[in-house]
Amino acid sequence: MEPLQRIACDWCGGQSPTGATSCVTCGAPLNVENLVSDSGWREAPRLRDMSEVKFGSSVCQVEGEIVPVAEITLGGNDAIFFEHHVLLWKDDSVRMDVMPLQGGIKRALAGMPFVVSIASGQGRVAFSRDASGELVVLPLHPGMEMDVREHAFLLCSHSINYSYTRIKGLRNILFGGQGMFMDRFVAQSAPGLLILHGYGNVFERRLAAGESVILEPGGFLYKDASVTMNIETQKLTTGFFGGVGMNLARMTGPGRLGIQSMYHHHHTD
Amino acid sequence: MPMPPTPATTDASRYRCPWCGHASDAGSSSCPRCGAPVDVRMAASDSGWAQLPAIKDMARIQFGQSFCQIEGNYVPVADFKLDGGDGVYFTHHLLLWKDEQVQISTMPLAKGWKRLFAGLPLIMTQARGPGRIAFSKDSPGELIALPLDAGQSVDVREHVFMIATSQVAYDWFQTGIWFATMGDKSSETHYPIGTFMDRFTAGQAPGLLLLHGNGNVFVRNLQPGQTIAIKPTSLLFKDPTVSMNLHLENPGGAYGTYQSWGRWGNRYVWLHLRGPGRVAIQSHFEHMEDPGSPIVNTEPRTTTRQW
Repeated sequence: MEPLQRIACDWCGGQSPTGATSCVTCGAPLNVENLVSDSGWREAPRLRDMSEVKFGSSVCQVEGEIVPVAEITLGGNDAIFFEHHVLLWKDDSVRMDVMPLQGGIKRALAGMPFVVSIASGQGRVAFSRDASGELVVLPLHPGMEMDVREHAFLLCSHSINYSYTRIKGLRNILFGGQGMFMDRFVAQSAPGLLILHGYGNVFERRLAAGESVILEPGGFLYKDASVTMNIETQKLTTGFFGGVGMNLARMTGPGRLGIQSMYHHHHTD
Repeated sequence: MPMPPTPATTDASRYRCPWCGHASDAGSSSCPRCGAPVDVRMAASDSGWAQLPAIKDMARIQFGQSFCQIEGNYVPVADFKLDGGDGVYFTHHLLLWKDEQVQISTMPLAKGWKRLFAGLPLIMTQARGPGRIAFSKDSPGELIALPLDAGQSVDVREHVFMIATSQVAYDWFQTGIWFATMGDKSSETHYPIGTFMDRFTAGQAPGLLLLHGNGNVFVRNLQPGQTIAIKPTSLLFKDPTVSMNLHLENPGGAYGTYQSWGRWGNRYVWLHLRGPGRVAIQSHFEHMEDPGSPIVNTEPRTTTRQW
């Protein structure tokens, strides 16, 4: 009989059997103290090499620590979706399909993918991105909604609903550093798994209701849908010729906010 | 022939390095032939890719009477202490620093014009001891030390090579991996893994080859007839026994015939590899050129799959 004691994961809230060294839902090490800065930013859990995460009948194994690889063993009727250019390798048996998205023309004009690929069937398929960084494993429970910087998602399980949200306000679009849209992932009736790739290191902070923080827009990685984002211009005057404006994002809680430390703009095709 | 992952034998008298497969010294902290940590358990994924054992900071590799020390583990530096009779050759832009007494000269290559047109380095630079000389590449990743037995060869994708000892002969061959698309006015030919591939062969004596992989490096040993599809630009090296061909897949589903406009031609371009032999990939791959326009011709061994 299975013992009743379980270990709760501080990162995702999932429960793992006692004796587990990493969370079965998100892969976060369970026997490592959380690293939280004095200002309240928590480092995303550094996944141990070869950590495994289970979702549905499938398993995701994370390999490497410079440019980590997410390797999926698809089981049952599970499927995952992703942008096609993040594929690293696959077994011959893994089936490939495409899933066109609504509002495709708008998305295409905005430089976002409007066809995402789906991998299904029995077999293995692996993904990685084109820069050093960290994988962020975000298990989504029914009712959760996450907004993610465009092109930051590596893969997502098929039970999650994928759409996008238009960034409101011309100022936010022009100066927000991430274009017109953000990806939105919604877990409706079933839980699912979302894996992001953050450039450099990834930090998360939980904002209380009404609490806000000012952020370099290029550093934004993900947020709960309840967190709002507004661009504010900071005037930098030199005393001569009026000075320059600097655009920063005000993020207001309640909810989680994730940032990346290497915030160059990376073009993807 | 090195065949990772092989469990390390821990008996000090007959310790065998799991990475390079050679009898090694269990008393030291790293293998003197390839720098892999001693007694490391090769971390292999469930699917059979073994992760390159990260060379410990300051590990020493010996070749001839010379040493190479690997420093740093983010953008590692290969720091050579060359003995009087030993030499290495390298592509010139990887040189980080050197002692004044180290002699540098060019090693002209045959078939230079063809290389020039293919974008390969026309001139290799060689350094002769005694003295110290160090090399690094401009991106975070891992150094791969490949000791080559006498007569052993390895095929390396272009621009991956860093340094080889003078016992290793250098040649190249055409990859034969290409496809042609219809451009605005004429057809364009694309080479997903480049036009040429380097081949390094140890002559009468064993030699050492150092490569640089961007991101993390994974190796697997394909059984005879076993196949795998990889992103072409992730390939690092392979044994000459591993054959390659272009593999094109078209997605299926309700929208299988749907042609997206933009820069994706509703297809996945793969490099298909068939064993027996080793294959290594890097997780930080380069951008792969595929303009998305219709394919009009491909290399003759190309396989296709419509899902």
